[in-house]
Amino acid sequence: MADNKITIGIADMKMAKGEGMLVTYALGSCIGICLHDPALKLGALIHIMLPVNMEAGRKNTMKYADTGIRETLKQMEAMGASRSRITAKIAGGAMMFKDGTGSLGNIGQRNIESVKLNLRKEGIHLLKEDVGGSVARTLLFDVNSGLGCVRCYGRPELII
Amino acid sequence: MAIKNYDELNSLELDTLREIGSMGTGNAATALSQMLGREVRITLPEVRIMGYNEAIEWIGGPEEITAGVLVKLSGQMTGIMLSVQPLEFVNIVLESMMEKTVSDYTELTDMEHSALIEVGNIMISTFINALSGLSGIDVSLTVPAFTVDMQGAILAVPMAEYGGQSDYIMTIGGNFISDNKQVPCRLLLSPDLRSLNALLRKLGVSDG
Repeated sequence: MADNKITIGIADMKMAKGEGMLVTYALGSCIGICLHDPALKLGALIHIMLPVNMEAGRKNTMKYADTGIRETLKQMEAMGASRSRITAKIAGGAMMFKDGTGSLGNIGQRNIESVKLNLRKEGIHLLKEDVGGSVARTLLFDVNSGLGCVRCYGRPELII
Repeated sequence: MAIKNYDELNSLELDTLREIGSMGTGNAATALSQMLGREVRITLPEVRIMGYNEAIEWIGGPEEITAGVLVKLSGQMTGIMLSVQPLEFVNIVLESMMEKTVSDYTELTDMEHSALIEVGNIMISTFINALSGLSGIDVSLTVPAFTVDMQGAILAVPMAEYGGQSDYIMTIGGNFISDNKQVPCRLLLSPDLRSLNALLRKLGVSDG
């Protein structure tokens, strides 16, 4: 896998074309969404934190699943990607703390549902996923091969 | 004026919050000191208002593994309080209470997990009792939840909880010093905006 790493922070998105490794660290309830056009070797990685954008003005599109996916697809298409070729892989959506009473809610689960719903709405095929559970995940995405790698504490690496 | 975002706090309000942080962590340090049977003092408490990614850098990078005890506040004040316990802190606790140390979190037994949860829970409760006594605000606490994982994901819990309100996270808290050594344990309070306004009003520093 390529060596030049590009880091994506929380509520952020970055793209790379041809070569490049996109990385986002420590996804808890957040979700990392890899979007890939294999013909162009164009890849994007979004790190969303919440399911639905209800902010006035809708700034900060990449913080939310719905606006993040929509805006990224728009930017990929502007670079020549074709929606019919774009596929998705996702990781994250964990529940970091289990308290038994459920008072914390489950933002991770709501994120998973919203990401899947919005991918379906946009007609993007979801190829692979590693979601839910209670572990934090670091997600690496090689835009050349389209392969993702999920790194966790106390669990072997998983290729998606 | 009631604030709409954490970065609108003025210097008087920040000083007030720092004072609360000082009282809260001071009381928590006394509780910790009693539990460990050794002297524990606090460093200058901080009030920080940080962007998400800035906060992750501040706590020491996203992937570092740490233990975290989380308690949710409800009642007249809602928020999340975290006790972040790096391995060095875990070993200080285990050494004092059980005369042993570990080289990795995976070596911890159920009994030792319980000890860490209890230490975190007592520090958090003491902090909140001090806050509640000072401001006259009633706060209820949930049963503590515990995890060992990447600290970036642990810190993201309060961020996600209040992410719909703000692009910043506010933390009030401090570090501890024991035997002249900095003990890397952070006690962090992240209040939601509405409660923060109510708290400042109760304390008479906000006229909103």
